[in-house]
Amino acid sequence: MKSPSMPSASLTGRVAAVFIGLALAFAVHAQGNLEIDTPAISALRKAMQQRHAQLAPLYASGAVGIAADGTVSLRDAAAVPLAQRAQANAAVAAENADRAALYREIARANGHPEWEGEVRRTFAQRWLDRAQPGWWVQQGASWSRK
Amino acid sequence: MAAQPGTRESIRVETSAGGFELPCGGRSRRALACSLVLLMLVTAVPLAGAAVFRVLAARVGEIAGPGFAVHELRVRLDAPAQGGEVDIGRLRIGAREWRALTLRCGRLRIDAGGLACNAARMEQGGRRLPFEADVDLALGAGPVRIALRLPDGGRIEAGTEADGRLRARLHRLTPAAAADLLEPWLGDLAAGLRGFKATGVLDAELDYRPADAGATTASLRGRLAGGGFGRADGLLAAEGVGADFTLEARSTGAVWSWSAQLDWDAGAAYIHPLLVEAGPRLRARGRFDGRRIELERAELALDGLAAASARGVIDTAAGTPDALSIELAGADLARIGPRWLAPLLAPASAQRLRFEGRADARVELRAGRLETLAVELHGAGFGLAPPLGGGSARGDDGKEVVPVEVLALGPVDGRVRWSSRGPGAAALQVGGGRWEKLALGAFALDAALEPAGLRLAGARIPLLDGTLVLQDLALGWSAAGWEGSGGVVLEPVSMPLLSEALGLPLMAGVMSAALPGLQFGPGELVLDGTLAVSVFGGWLQASGLRVREPFGVASHLTAEIEARHIDLAQLTETFSFGSITGHIDADVRGLELSNWRPAAFDARIASIAGDERRRISQRAVENISALGGGGALAAVQRSVLRLFETFGYRELGLRCRLANGVCEMGGLDAEPDGGVRADGGFTIVRGGGIPALDVIGYNRRVDWNELVARLQRVVAEDVSPTID
Amino acid sequence: MYREDGMNPAARWLFAAALVASTAACVTINIYFPAAAAEKAADRIIDEVWQLREGAGSAPVTPPAAGGTK
Repeated sequence: MKSPSMPSASLTGRVAAVFIGLALAFAVHAQGNLEIDTPAISALRKAMQQRHAQLAPLYASGAVGIAADGTVSLRDAAAVPLAQRAQANAAVAAENADRAALYREIARANGHPEWEGEVRRTFAQRWLDRAQPGWWVQQGASWSRK
Repeated sequence: MAAQPGTRESIRVETSAGGFELPCGGRSRRALACSLVLLMLVTAVPLAGAAVFRVLAARVGEIAGPGFAVHELRVRLDAPAQGGEVDIGRLRIGAREWRALTLRCGRLRIDAGGLACNAARMEQGGRRLPFEADVDLALGAGPVRIALRLPDGGRIEAGTEADGRLRARLHRLTPAAAADLLEPWLGDLAAGLRGFKATGVLDAELDYRPADAGATTASLRGRLAGGGFGRADGLLAAEGVGADFTLEARSTGAVWSWSAQLDWDAGAAYIHPLLVEAGPRLRARGRFDGRRIELERAELALDGLAAASARGVIDTAAGTPDALSIELAGADLARIGPRWLAPLLAPASAQRLRFEGRADARVELRAGRLETLAVELHGAGFGLAPPLGGGSARGDDGKEVVPVEVLALGPVDGRVRWSSRGPGAAALQVGGGRWEKLALGAFALDAALEPAGLRLAGARIPLLDGTLVLQDLALGWSAAGWEGSGGVVLEPVSMPLLSEALGLPLMAGVMSAALPGLQFGPGELVLDGTLAVSVFGGWLQASGLRVREPFGVASHLTAEIEARHIDLAQLTETFSFGSITGHIDADVRGLELSNWRPAAFDARIASIAGDERRRISQRAVENISALGGGGALAAVQRSVLRLFETFGYRELGLRCRLANGVCEMGGLDAEPDGGVRADGGFTIVRGGGIPALDVIGYNRRVDWNELVARLQRVVAEDVSPTID
Repeated sequence: MYREDGMNPAARWLFAAALVASTAACVTINIYFPAAAAEKAADRIIDEVWQLREGAGSAPVTPPAAGGTK
């Protein structure tokens, strides 16, 4: 009979190997940059940049807020003149369609379509963190002014 | 407040010497008697002087009229001051009741008819109400007149007649004053007016005649000017609304029959996500039994609609339609589409949608939800413009790009019937259409609709001289978006027609496709199968077709292409590239087209080994060298070039790996390292026979746009070779 | 000779823990997600879309343009 400590030692070794492997894999991926310069992503960036001219005053007035899920949200339509509310809503819808496409495209361009959710979460956090003072941001379910 | 209504009613007169009390009954005869006594007393007051009658207090148990009752009414007349007070222990109007009302009269007059209290202020439960009132009250069942003057200039006048007729006038009533006025009586309504930030001025007249000749009638007519409101989130709001309204109602029992009219002539409303502007006129009639409003018929006149009518039942408690059936006839889609349909159906691309033609529709709602929708289209047309800021705006070589609709369908005729509870159907005749530059012929669409999806057994869409066949297409709607699967077959399309339609040089051959594995999901269209083109004496096949973000700015297509046995003679002739004979194979791996322009690929072209005549013309050589940016020809061979019309070659190969706008060039695979020569060049054409000539490239990294521009120049320069 | 049931309780526990760890590692392929690189990418795109790095002067120029398109 072998000493009882033998199998556990080999197991811990294996566990350690698994973790080292994971850490290595992670490190390898973490080193590089994500591909965000494909024509599709560039087209989305350009479209979103152009739309920002329309959205910026809406962020500033609080009509549109930076939502927690990586989208923007028409949170206070009352801050927009009545006649322009439908346009503001269209701009929000178009921005969210582009953002959804952006997250999908970044995941695809980097060969991992399944990353879409992670990309969205990462962006959601950065949009929130980098929102300008005075803009409205969503934390959890509640809105607050930055 | 010892008096119990209906039991102990009295008039108490206090004099300087003491007081006495007269018993008075609530019934009209006795009330009249009491009134007479009162009258005598009142007329006696001035005669007798203040020393005799100081205070007159009357206590009347009840004054009741149709729909209202006053209990524990006490009147105090302060003779020297000509003033007095009216206390109402309980006031009942309809089903509601209020307690402890006091009316402090600036001037109080009591005579045979009753009492008149002018310039009065009112308190309820010790709180002063924000208006000044004139009350003219006949004891018993006589007429009552009340006028309220509101602080902002508004006025309310109401009066009942002995026969129970009630007339009221609202004059310049504002929501703010109305809210103050309603606060103690209808607190929730007042809070609603304030919460919705209501504005505007209301003028209205109400006339109510109870059971006159067996029928009770009521009419309300008026005008709202500058009306507005806004829900806190701004998703439901109106501004500057001007509207005339009338409501007529008639009842012979518990049920009212009514008719109403609303003319909205100024202002606008936002009902998320729709902006609705003044113009609609509504006529409606129906019945009301106290709980449910039955809408027998409503007619709406709206810009862009020939006729609109509705009928149904509305539950007043829930505030939602129990059942509502709406019929719309002769809708002009060009006007109705952008305003009503696009914001609801596709807000993100609302600006890009085009509508035309006419439609009739029937909509049925049950318990506030859409239950069935039946639409009949007459010559309807739909178009989707390319997205703004998309790649298509940056045209090649600075040419103005005419915006061509990505997708267009029409004229479309037929019927669509959808139900939330079961199967529906769509039977449409499409007169034609356009997808990018390709015109589609007339076709029929017969689809089975489900509550959240559709099935299309098959459709044959003519495409030039071929047919695009859709097979077993199933689409489903979920929260994530549309998803679906099916198959597509392209029955042969002749390349001459296709190349002409796409604005390409005329090519011979046919194109066909079998793509049985069509999958459609959010942001992706997968077409598993093969698209095959027989062209230039050989064939070309595309597989692994994927269209990403099909309708957005990021629209791009990926595919794998292989071409076999392409006759260079035909190819070079077609593209006016000089002349090369022989055959090649080509492979394009990882082709990615973004807005129909190549964004990435790894392409190889190689001549096929075998026994055939391989010649390359002077001009083709010059063109290839021009593609290489000049200097691609070995200098030694340049002089030889002018001497001969064609040259023999042994093999030919070219590679271009495109990424990030740069094409990494390579030549024949035969040489080690993809064709690197000692001098750093790569061989594109290796000569053979007489006269022989090598074409060698030196420029390994070529800007793709530059290369395309050169290619276009070369092709455009057409006939004469330019060799000096 | 080694037999499975010769494992002591600590070894069993470790074995179970390792199993759990390895299955968890298999399921959560997200652990490969390059979070830092994604943040960097997000910041680059946010800079561009919100025009945060092109000088403060450019920002006030844009709203009139938006008004003009209405």
